[in-house]
Amino acid sequence: MQILDKLKSSNKSERRVRKKFEEAKGLSITSLMDVLTIILVFLVKNISTEVIKISAEPNITYPHTITNDKLLEKAGTTPIKIFPDRVVVGTEALEYGSPADLLTNAQKRNDLLTYLKKEAEDIIQHQKAETCLLVQADYSIPCEYITEIVRAATAAGYSYIYFATLEDADWLKKYSVSLAE
Amino acid sequence: MRQYRPSAMRQQKSQTVPQEPNLVPIMNLFLAIIPMLLMMVVISQIALLALNFSQGESGVSYGQGGGGGGAKTEKVEIHILGEQYAQENNTTLGMEIREPGFKPMTISAINGYYDYVTLNKTLQEIRSRKGTLSDITVLVHPDVLYGDLMKTIDICKVNGFTQVHYTATKVEYY
Repeated sequence: MQILDKLKSSNKSERRVRKKFEEAKGLSITSLMDVLTIILVFLVKNISTEVIKISAEPNITYPHTITNDKLLEKAGTTPIKIFPDRVVVGTEALEYGSPADLLTNAQKRNDLLTYLKKEAEDIIQHQKAETCLLVQADYSIPCEYITEIVRAATAAGYSYIYFATLEDADWLKKYSVSLAE
Repeated sequence: MRQYRPSAMRQQKSQTVPQEPNLVPIMNLFLAIIPMLLMMVVISQIALLALNFSQGESGVSYGQGGGGGGAKTEKVEIHILGEQYAQENNTTLGMEIREPGFKPMTISAINGYYDYVTLNKTLQEIRSRKGTLSDITVLVHPDVLYGDLMKTIDICKVNGFTQVHYTATKVEYY
């Protein structure tokens, strides 16, 4: 009896046909690749070392200006950032101290002058470029600090001084509206 | 005659779909590079204001450079008066424009804010009188804010005074 059952179950006509599953399709990432390639090309085109050097600091409130002077093409730039509570000097972002040190501490002033002289010499001798000082200061910094930095830079031999601002073609119109209110 | 099972027959035929190139490693590379570049990119547009140096003005002398200096035939000066100066001299806070051959013109601040609108109009008038003049001197008092100095220099440049000289009323150390 068991043999008969076995024979019956092994009959080809009654054999259960297993349905073949379709292979799972891989995620098509070609379109994503296209988008990423476009973004990559855009970013690579827009990023340069100079932009990194004069990148906007989140803790500085920049004044708005209409004009935008171009930085010299062949310029060795030394950035100096004046935050409300501290001053950062050079591409190495050396902590200088507080802005008040520029006026009250003669030793600090001499240190700044010495540093700027060395930087200027380095730019002239090794980079063979024009010496530029790039001042990035907060809107609320009194000009007496700016004046001291400009004095030090000119004394150190810097030929060009640039101030970083934010470009806004309409600031004067907005200002007149706010004054009228 | 040799017989094959149906499955074996199928395997002998080249029925495989042409494979797409494996883009996963490139995707991984992109996903690493793009966030890094996005962190480096500057969203806000930083503008630059160039400064020229004047020589021997208001007791302060700077080094010559930046295309500054030049002939001193006509010299228009903008004095940005600070609060301390206004209190000591019993004058109003504001700006004073000194032009050779004209009386000094005072532009008073409105509610404690410098009146850049009037300064702009005044500089337009000076520009209409002196079409070729490109030099102007900005003199700041110590307590004037950096932002106010930048706005003043900006208005000068907007009105065609490309050579802006910066002087200050303070003793020099160097």
